[in-house]
Amino acid sequence: MAGLTRTAGAFAVTPHKISVCILLQLYAPSAQMSLPFPFSSVSQHNRLGLYLLSLTKSCDDIFEPKLEDLINQLREVGEDMDAWLTDHLTNRFSSLTSPDDLLNFFNDMRGILGSLDSVAAQDDQIILDPNSILGMFVRRCILAFNLLSFEGVCHLFTSIEVYCREAHSSSAQYDASNDNLESLIQHDQMDMEKYIMDKATEEIKLQKNASGSIPFHLHTPEALFKVTEGLLVTRKEKSRASTKKIEATPITRASSSTADDNLVDESLFLRTNYQIQGFLMEQADAIETHGSSLSSSSIESFLQKLQNLAPELHRVHFLRYLNKLHSDDYFAALDNLLRYFDYSAGTEGFDLVPPSAGCSMNGRYEIALLCLGMMHFRFGHPNLALEVLTEAVRVSQQVSNDTCLAYTLAAMSNLLSEMGIASTTSVLGSSYSPVTSTASSLSVQQRVYILLKESLRRADSLKLRRLVASNHLAMAKFELMHVQRPLLSFGPKASMRHKTCPVSVCKEIRLGAHLLSDFSAESSTMTIDGTLSSVWLKDLQKPWGQPVLSQESGSRKSSTFFQFCDHLVSIPGSVSQIIGASYLLRATSWELYGSAPMARMNTLVYATLFGDSSSSSDAELAYLKLIQHLALYKGYKDAFAALKIAEEKFLTVSKSKVLLLKLQLLHEHALHRGNLKLAQRMCNELGGLASTTMGVDMEQKVEASLREARTLLAAKQYSQAAKVAHSLFCTCHKFSLQIEKASVLLLLAEIHKKSGNAVLGLPYALASISFCQSFNLDLLKASATLTLAELWLGLGSNHAKRALDLLHGAFPMILGHGGLELRARAYIFEANCYLSNPSFSVSTDSDTVLDSLRQASDELQALEYHELAAEALYLMAMVYDKLGQIEEREEAATMFKKHITALENPQNEEPNMA
Amino acid sequence: MVSKESCRNEIRAAIEQLSERCLHSAAKWAGEQLVGIEQDPSNFTPSNTRFQRGSSSIRRRFSTHESISTPQPSVGFSHAATPLPEEDEVTDCDLYYLAKSYFNCREYRRASHVLRDQMSKKSVFLRCYALYLAGEKRKEEEMIELEGSLGKSDAINRELVSLERELSALKRTGAIDSFGLYLYGVVLKEKGNETLARASLVESVNSYPWNWNAWSELQSLCTSIEILNSLNLSNHWMKEFFLASAYQELRMHTESLAKYEYLQGIFSFSNYIQAQTAKAQYSLREFDQVEIIFEGLLRNDPYRVEDMDLYSNVLYAKEACAALSYLAHKVFLTDKYRPESCCIIGNYYSLKGQHEKAVMYFRRALKLNKKFLSAWTLMGHEYVEMKNTPAAIDAYRRAVDINPCDYRAWYGLGQAYEMSGMPFYALHYFRKSIFFLPNDSRLWIAMAKCYQTEQIYMLEEAIKCYKRAVNCTDTEGIALNQLAKLHQKLGREEEAAVYFEKDLERMDGEGLEGPNMLEALVFLATHFKTHKKFEEAEVYCTRILDYSGPEKEKAKSLLRGIRMEKTGFPSMDMEHFPL
Repeated sequence: MAGLTRTAGAFAVTPHKISVCILLQLYAPSAQMSLPFPFSSVSQHNRLGLYLLSLTKSCDDIFEPKLEDLINQLREVGEDMDAWLTDHLTNRFSSLTSPDDLLNFFNDMRGILGSLDSVAAQDDQIILDPNSILGMFVRRCILAFNLLSFEGVCHLFTSIEVYCREAHSSSAQYDASNDNLESLIQHDQMDMEKYIMDKATEEIKLQKNASGSIPFHLHTPEALFKVTEGLLVTRKEKSRASTKKIEATPITRASSSTADDNLVDESLFLRTNYQIQGFLMEQADAIETHGSSLSSSSIESFLQKLQNLAPELHRVHFLRYLNKLHSDDYFAALDNLLRYFDYSAGTEGFDLVPPSAGCSMNGRYEIALLCLGMMHFRFGHPNLALEVLTEAVRVSQQVSNDTCLAYTLAAMSNLLSEMGIASTTSVLGSSYSPVTSTASSLSVQQRVYILLKESLRRADSLKLRRLVASNHLAMAKFELMHVQRPLLSFGPKASMRHKTCPVSVCKEIRLGAHLLSDFSAESSTMTIDGTLSSVWLKDLQKPWGQPVLSQESGSRKSSTFFQFCDHLVSIPGSVSQIIGASYLLRATSWELYGSAPMARMNTLVYATLFGDSSSSSDAELAYLKLIQHLALYKGYKDAFAALKIAEEKFLTVSKSKVLLLKLQLLHEHALHRGNLKLAQRMCNELGGLASTTMGVDMEQKVEASLREARTLLAAKQYSQAAKVAHSLFCTCHKFSLQIEKASVLLLLAEIHKKSGNAVLGLPYALASISFCQSFNLDLLKASATLTLAELWLGLGSNHAKRALDLLHGAFPMILGHGGLELRARAYIFEANCYLSNPSFSVSTDSDTVLDSLRQASDELQALEYHELAAEALYLMAMVYDKLGQIEEREEAATMFKKHITALENPQNEEPNMA
Repeated sequence: MVSKESCRNEIRAAIEQLSERCLHSAAKWAGEQLVGIEQDPSNFTPSNTRFQRGSSSIRRRFSTHESISTPQPSVGFSHAATPLPEEDEVTDCDLYYLAKSYFNCREYRRASHVLRDQMSKKSVFLRCYALYLAGEKRKEEEMIELEGSLGKSDAINRELVSLERELSALKRTGAIDSFGLYLYGVVLKEKGNETLARASLVESVNSYPWNWNAWSELQSLCTSIEILNSLNLSNHWMKEFFLASAYQELRMHTESLAKYEYLQGIFSFSNYIQAQTAKAQYSLREFDQVEIIFEGLLRNDPYRVEDMDLYSNVLYAKEACAALSYLAHKVFLTDKYRPESCCIIGNYYSLKGQHEKAVMYFRRALKLNKKFLSAWTLMGHEYVEMKNTPAAIDAYRRAVDINPCDYRAWYGLGQAYEMSGMPFYALHYFRKSIFFLPNDSRLWIAMAKCYQTEQIYMLEEAIKCYKRAVNCTDTEGIALNQLAKLHQKLGREEEAAVYFEKDLERMDGEGLEGPNMLEALVFLATHFKTHKKFEEAEVYCTRILDYSGPEKEKAKSLLRGIRMEKTGFPSMDMEHFPL
């Protein structure tokens, strides 16, 4: 179709290029003087030359500066002769009154080129070497002009008129801000010798322009980055290593922000395919990183513009899909995704292989299926997603697209592990494909495992490093959450090692993070991708090497967007994203294993190092983890303060989890203060946030009902609480959420303990402990042990010794890693044990008890946990009473009373955080 | 009913005024309707029938009516009379004549330049209209000139801005006539301001209803029945034409047909109405009707090209090669550079199985008119035939993007994806097509087949689809048979028997025979036997005996079994039962 038959982009003459040509004429006039007329010094002349060099290099950019911008820049370069330069420029333009003048102009341009073979030029002559970059540029311009038909010349002529008119209308505004700029320039003495024209710098600049006004996160030295920010001013700054950067940026900011206006500007000139594709990829990346904080309508309007200009550029539809995806518009997203693949057959955009290369006849619709599947996944339609992905597997097998297959399998395993799919339903029953059908008799976990292994193997053999890395991470997650069982276990012989293996988790995480070292060896990869687009972009990247070069006939090698990306960004975004993800996973695993400091450290590493390169949802997750940590270990005040910051930052992200965390914290807080009504409300709201679809948002649903049970427990409605907990346990079992099972069991034990049924509680506590053991959940195990000890004590004071022994076994873990509440509970319980032990005498060993109690009451104060605090203080008062220390007793008693009244009237001191 | 005479007079005056303003296509349309009005039998001898449309009779007709051509308000019982506007004085008649002749020679800018200082409404309209057309012409040219590597550049009519400014100023001061309002509506529509455009066009047609151009612009802005109903249109017989065509676009074919039938009472010989009726009938798949109508049309108007692609579609569906080639030859000689002609030729080649050539002609049609919907769809069909799925998908998608209601293209998309082994993906497209045409059994059957594929194998869904197909009166009888088989496969004998019986009934009714019949008979016979309904079983068994082949033997043994069970006789006795 028309979309497939277009040629790779051509070099077109534009008004901006004519401006550059005019300046070039000034720089190297055909009259052979050692120093042309207006220049007063050689360095001045050189400066213009360097400026022109950078201009010619950036000419392949999507956006061309307006005449106004050019004049502004000239003012900086030209110093004392800026007026002359701009006057000459505008005069030259106004002298172009008919198409014939244009023709003559380009004829004149020919004169400034030296002849190709005249190497023996005199020293003081200024000759533009036809093979130099500037010479090449002039030649290309002349050639492009000569190729134009008369209609083309007419169009160029009208666009020149527009170009000049625009500058006229805005030049009035410029004068106002001129003084400011002027004064700044006076500070600087341009020191050209020190300035080394760095190729990379130029290219960054190109890219910077291409990315519009969206900040570009490069892992390059800051100074270099600054160059991209401010075109020339900062360049001077850099050479002097001065401190005036801050002054300089606002002005240059202004100039760079015009790029954004350009987006919707009529004068947007279309460039080559590569540039536009690269630009679109940048945009896709931005959509992904910034989530919906980027206004979706502004992107939409710009896409509309682009589509009008280039109706055959189908990638626009894909971008629109991404945009809609991030603003949670299901129908529009679906529509655009389908439209994109209908038009392009999955071949446009990334590989840029000419249609003759064999893909035009069958298209690559398996990629469409993969994308569609992931879209359904994101919108929470697990069954649809599964069907679509199954079809993707089948089609990729049919057309033997192994890369796509590997990605699809990974996506599928991700889907199966993320979405709760009840093990009873036969999810893959309808598929007959070899990979999945073997799995149909297995449990979901086993299927996930097989899919992951399969995907990993393929990715490994295809050298898809990113996929390998993310598969390793997925595998780590799997190992973390599931007990490895032999796939086919028959009879008693099957080994029954009911334990997860932290070593293998660690190994997988490390393998995942190995990407960084691997990546340097990889040469022809692309750098920009959003998670969704990236998956299939990456798969399409292989054929770049040759086609790009062969199409581009060498001359434009350096300007193609993709290639220079490689050598200027040391770590591409997607790689750092995966590495960042490995840190997040590390944090999560430490959280589960029960090491608070390690979890915190890893999260902090993530937030500081990968925060800006990651997608907004990952960054959000890291923030939330930190806040949770604060709440557990520092109390609510700090947590709420931190939450406020996170809210400002992330509330605009679609599917934001901030609200979720806020509700959780409020619930916890209300529960501690004894405000059960509020707690119940929070709990209900939490449950309302989850999707109603079965199997979607399982985590949230489990969380909500766990909290409901806890609220009921706090309200002393034991049978109700037990009922909720029981049904929750059934759900967890159905969707095989093993780790959650452990905490539900613990909760059940807790319920029985509170209801005074210690005997009934014991088996639950023991079961919970055994679950914790097999999943290596040390902290949870410690807390279960504490409950177990409490249950023993509940059986009678003759078990105090045993309880104390249990407690002391768990003490190191609790004190080292436990949160405030757990620690306080342990302290109080220890005191309780001692006190109920008949052989213990208060008068001799009072310090052992009092120390613990004091510690507990301090920590509970921070937590505002009135009930427990009251208990601790009560015990304290009793001990003091025994010891006969009346004053201390009274103090403890008043404190006790304060807590009790606060507990009884929770509404009196409503939390102002809500 | 409006009197024919008044209609005639109105149209005559309208043609005068429309051609005075160079609204040629509207004048053409009005002219077609004018001669479409049945003559008053009292004025003519019976020999002067419409079909002898000799030049002499037409001349005579006009001569008879010259005497009563004074405009008189028509009094219809439901139609308010709209007085014919009086021609305003053209200050400089000579300049207007010059401008008009320039305009007729397609020198639009020259025409508008001549009228630059004329202030009369008529001159202002012609000047603006000429300017608009000049801009359109330039736009078309620019579109080709600026065609870049990524498709056509966004060429725009550069006169729109100034035209809008001028016309809105005129409208504010009230110095605008209905023609000006029409142009204003067109300009607003081009600028994307649909609501205002609609309002302006409504105002225009309310004050001057005979401008068919205005009506059709208005119709293109009515994309849903809600919009159509919200229009505040005053009653006039032209409104009936408008409604009929709007209904047709909104796929309310029966309503549209009713309107046309009503209009045919006055304009009994209008080619336009006939063609539109044919279109509606075509959508209702009454191909025989369509063929008859088009044959008549071609007899009356042998050089007609408009709508003839529809006729060719019918001929294609009927596989009438010779007729199709005759038609193609005819339109080719009349005007080969019309998208319709290209489509007809493409259809011919497609019927002959020369798909490459067909694609070439469809492409040519699209070169002539990029938005010629049916060419995209037909090209998609050709690519499907050529097994070039991506190209087919691309073509269909373009059709869909031009008109999202084109159920054929949606269906084609679904088919193409199903062909490339992606039935689940295809389902979405089938759903889309069904959404736009829920009463077509073919679409439901296609969807059901999709569900039935071994890759998806959602038989329950397939059954639901087939049920819908049965409700939509499935003419080919696939649905019943499939329903029966599916139920049989799912082990629901009762349901299967019901559907087999229904299918049998249908086949008997249509006098069909075939393997399906035999299958149904065998199933039913066995089914009733196992359920001990021997009477029915026997009936079916004896019917099977009419056929030869293994089934006959089976029927015999079944019969034996039945008799045995019925009477309890030993089987040996049955051996000698004469069959």
